[in-house]
Amino acid sequence: MVDRKKKAKKSQLPFRLNILFFVVFLLFSVLIIQLGVVQILNGQEFQDEIDRTIEDTTKIPVPRGKMYDRHYNVIADNKSLYSITYTPAKGVQAVDRLKVAEDLSKYIKMLSEDDEEKRAKQIKSVSERDRKEYWYLKNEDIAKDRLTEEEAAEMKPAEQYQTMLDRIKDEEIAHYSDEVLEVILIKKELDKAPYLTPHVVKNEDVTPEEYARVAEHLDELPGVNATTDWDRDYPFDSTFRSFIGSITSQDEGIPADKEQFYLTRGYRPNDRVGKSGLEEQYESILRGRKEQVLYTTNKDGKVVDSEVIVEGERGKDLVLAIDMEFQERVDQIVREELETAINEQPYVNRTLEDALAVVLNPNTGELLAVSGQHYDRGEKKTSDAAYKTVYNQYLPGSAIKGATVLAGYESGVITPGQVFIDKPMKFAVGAPKRSWINLGPVNDYQALQKSSNIYMYNIAMRIGGDYHHKDGDNISFTNTTPFEDMRHYFWQFGLGTKTGIDFPYEGTGYVGPSNLRQPGLLLDYAIGQYDTYTTMQLAQYVSTIANDGYRVRPHFLKEVREPTTEEDQLGPVYETIQTDVLNKVVMEQSNLERVQEGFRRAFQDQGGTGYSYWRNKPYQAAGKTGTAESIKQMDDGEWLETINLSLVGYAPFDDPEVAFALIVPHLGEDNDYSINHTMGTRILDAYFEIKEKRQTGNTDQQDATQSSDQDEENN
Amino acid sequence: MKNQNTNIDYTLILIVVLLGLTSLFALYTIDPYLPAKYDNQNFLLKQGQWYIIGSILIFILMLIDYDRFRQVTWVLYGIGMTSLLMLFFRFPAGIIHEANNAVSWFILPGMGTIQPAELYKIVHVLIIAHLMFSHNKKYVNQTTKTDLWLFAKIMLVSLPPMALIAVQPDLGGMLVLASITGAMLLVSGIRWRVMFGILGVVLVLIGIAVAVWIFIPGPISEFLEEGVFNHIKSRFYGWIYPEQYPDSGYQLVLAMLAIGSGQLGGKGLSTMEVYVPEKHTDMIFTAIAEQFGFIGASFVIILFFLLIYRMIHVAILSNESYGSYLVTGFIGMFAYQIFQNIGMSIQLLPITGLPLPFLSYGGSSTLTYLMAIGIVLNVHSRTKTFMFE
Repeated sequence: MVDRKKKAKKSQLPFRLNILFFVVFLLFSVLIIQLGVVQILNGQEFQDEIDRTIEDTTKIPVPRGKMYDRHYNVIADNKSLYSITYTPAKGVQAVDRLKVAEDLSKYIKMLSEDDEEKRAKQIKSVSERDRKEYWYLKNEDIAKDRLTEEEAAEMKPAEQYQTMLDRIKDEEIAHYSDEVLEVILIKKELDKAPYLTPHVVKNEDVTPEEYARVAEHLDELPGVNATTDWDRDYPFDSTFRSFIGSITSQDEGIPADKEQFYLTRGYRPNDRVGKSGLEEQYESILRGRKEQVLYTTNKDGKVVDSEVIVEGERGKDLVLAIDMEFQERVDQIVREELETAINEQPYVNRTLEDALAVVLNPNTGELLAVSGQHYDRGEKKTSDAAYKTVYNQYLPGSAIKGATVLAGYESGVITPGQVFIDKPMKFAVGAPKRSWINLGPVNDYQALQKSSNIYMYNIAMRIGGDYHHKDGDNISFTNTTPFEDMRHYFWQFGLGTKTGIDFPYEGTGYVGPSNLRQPGLLLDYAIGQYDTYTTMQLAQYVSTIANDGYRVRPHFLKEVREPTTEEDQLGPVYETIQTDVLNKVVMEQSNLERVQEGFRRAFQDQGGTGYSYWRNKPYQAAGKTGTAESIKQMDDGEWLETINLSLVGYAPFDDPEVAFALIVPHLGEDNDYSINHTMGTRILDAYFEIKEKRQTGNTDQQDATQSSDQDEENN
Repeated sequence: MKNQNTNIDYTLILIVVLLGLTSLFALYTIDPYLPAKYDNQNFLLKQGQWYIIGSILIFILMLIDYDRFRQVTWVLYGIGMTSLLMLFFRFPAGIIHEANNAVSWFILPGMGTIQPAELYKIVHVLIIAHLMFSHNKKYVNQTTKTDLWLFAKIMLVSLPPMALIAVQPDLGGMLVLASITGAMLLVSGIRWRVMFGILGVVLVLIGIAVAVWIFIPGPISEFLEEGVFNHIKSRFYGWIYPEQYPDSGYQLVLAMLAIGSGQLGGKGLSTMEVYVPEKHTDMIFTAIAEQFGFIGASFVIILFFLLIYRMIHVAILSNESYGSYLVTGFIGMFAYQIFQNIGMSIQLLPITGLPLPFLSYGGSSTLTYLMAIGIVLNVHSRTKTFMFE
């Protein structure tokens, strides 16, 4: 009985073992089948996946193009710097970066050692969060223990992390040594690097020793490289800087408001781009072509191979039309004249702050010098404000009368030689209008020579349709579009339109309302007392007159040069900027010549408004003065009546090669220093003096030096 | 009768030797691909040493009649439980070693680390086999009551160590014990109706737990959700959608890339393109599958299958049920570990930390498996063959 039972029990064992064996057989069969699916059916897909993910291109920045002045003096250069960069591989974690930072801190110092102020600033830049993140990485277990599992389950990972950071006690992060701060500062930089994109960890004050130490230990520092970087250098310092502009730092990267624009053009977020001035205007030329390197990475994220697929090319160089020697002289003249005007009548000219000047070649539009000086009354110092020649607009006064007279001819309201009696005009309402003195009968030449307001009023009245004004009458216009008609002519000179200058922004002036119920405004318009213009617009206007009616685009860029690898050498010309005629004024050549003659008389003939300043000059200058009534609000809120002095002109009269426009806004009403003329004559004196020096200098030196610059010029 | 001491299963030994050689060979090819932190480690040499030590242990185990193991079973169980409790209480703190967020190791000065859960697997087989054998000897007249009593005893000794291992946390180790227990229950002699009855009750309990979770909001379901289901959910998603859940699916993605790209014939000796973490331990199968493709990987699986087959053979041949129980326990251990380890790297099962027997590098685990083989060989060598049977 016992035995039988036992036997039965024993005999069921093999059966159950066979069941177990069968189960194992099934499981192993499933393994083999699934293995077949993964390896044989889908194997190729996995191989493709590997091949796909292992190649990545990195774009390595190249130096920007340089800028030269017209005589090939470098005005924006690249200074090469030792640079420590970091290029993270895919999948690099914070812990890995901390390790790199710790290793790297053995070889480089981030904290400034000799500049106490900078050092304090750097230490301050390590935020509480930076310290906490560091502490977290070093004490991850402790930090995690402070978060109970119940809490953790309720939070998203980001919240968990934030909570853990919040629970780090102040005293735990308070006393970090300089060594730790170094690590944190380095890690902050490492954290900014997008994967597979080189990011500069340190490029300021990298000592040759640091560079060598890092280079020696590159194999211990994954992703770190010791290379040379570049920095922008402007040898002329502040001279002309407001036009050269500036570029963003690597931290700023591409400007947020133009992010899409740059990203679609292949920029990386941390690329340095021009953010103002010509650096911004010609970004596409200066940027160059980035070197593209194809990195082969294994799944580990290790770079196993790199191959240059696109050779990098430094940005192209810009040769500007500016003559830096002349520019410096003009800056000096404008500054001295501004200071003189202020110092001679400090109280009268308490409203005076700026003086602006534009000098260009009227035939080509090449800008030779553009200067603006600003006097800071608080600091009692003069500083560069050249951008105001393009940004700021002022009432110019009589300087635009050339355009008024031409509008008169072309609209047919006056004929060449037309005479008006210059005496005060009386109206039904308001004060009589008059010239600065009663000039008596004046023809068109004399109207410009002596600056007759009455002549201009008559032109405006007639354009408005009022041919028969008698003293005491109301102005009665029959023309319903007198403002539009006059502006149509003015625009052809660039007065009230864009000049087309190669700069990211330009002001186009204030355009007053075309109010027919106040027809007197049209009279104000005719003498430059209504719409406002920039100095650049005035320069284009006078160039157009000098250039027989061809309105040319003023431009800074003269030519573009291919980059060269040779230091201090210019590459071949890539592009020469041609003279760009925007329009030809639709006016009779003979009429234009009458205005030119009027301008000549203003400077050269007795009775001319500029005669006493310009008569003895060896270069035959022509031009037009202007004085406008303006107002200025002082700091205390009081409005003061001021005057703007302006001057436009060109020389030599027969074959103009230089034109200029200046505005000195907001002089006191009782100012008696003709700053516009002293500035104007000194600028043209300087121009011809430098020109002559160059000509004689060149003949002296021609045999001695065979500089490449001159070779290029001769080409 | 006279050749009872020479009844050695050379086939089984040959299989284990082949597996050992495969392990050493795989470790040799992996060496250049290991991360820099292992630069100073010679896994090949160390694994060789473990195999030698393991062989000596097999020899010693062979000398003792396996029937006598029963005398020390409870002592061994006590030692095993004590070790697991020490880990649980992290006492003494000086010798507790934590890695990958799990407290699973003792650190012994001069000897390295030791993982009690691995060695305990042997004890687990011994204690259950002992319980079953004693029970069946005592209760000759089998009733439902005695069957349930046996089941209860097995659970009483099995559940505490499983729980202690699960909280280390070492889910893989816990499941191995469950698999051992399950396989041994199958051959325990408990009748089918009782077995299915128990299974039915367990399924109902799981059903109730799920129902509570779904229908009754409150502290219990919250506990279930936070403590159990969330963890399962994360693993589950990492398994089904590894690409979308990089945290939990990262290893699987890499393992699949490595294995899949091996294709039919493999990439060739020492050619590996994919970095897989733990390639020398839990993920060693990926290295073989990548280098030698489906052909090489199938060879390894077939080798394992032959191992199990051979052990089943030993279990059936044994004329003492105690010996069969022991071997069955080890079958449960090996079969589950092999299936889980290979299955998780080809997306059949969720990822769990578990070595591949004989192939993965590891001291405690290699010794455990070799000792298991030693016991199986012991059982076989003491099986009497009768001409008339």
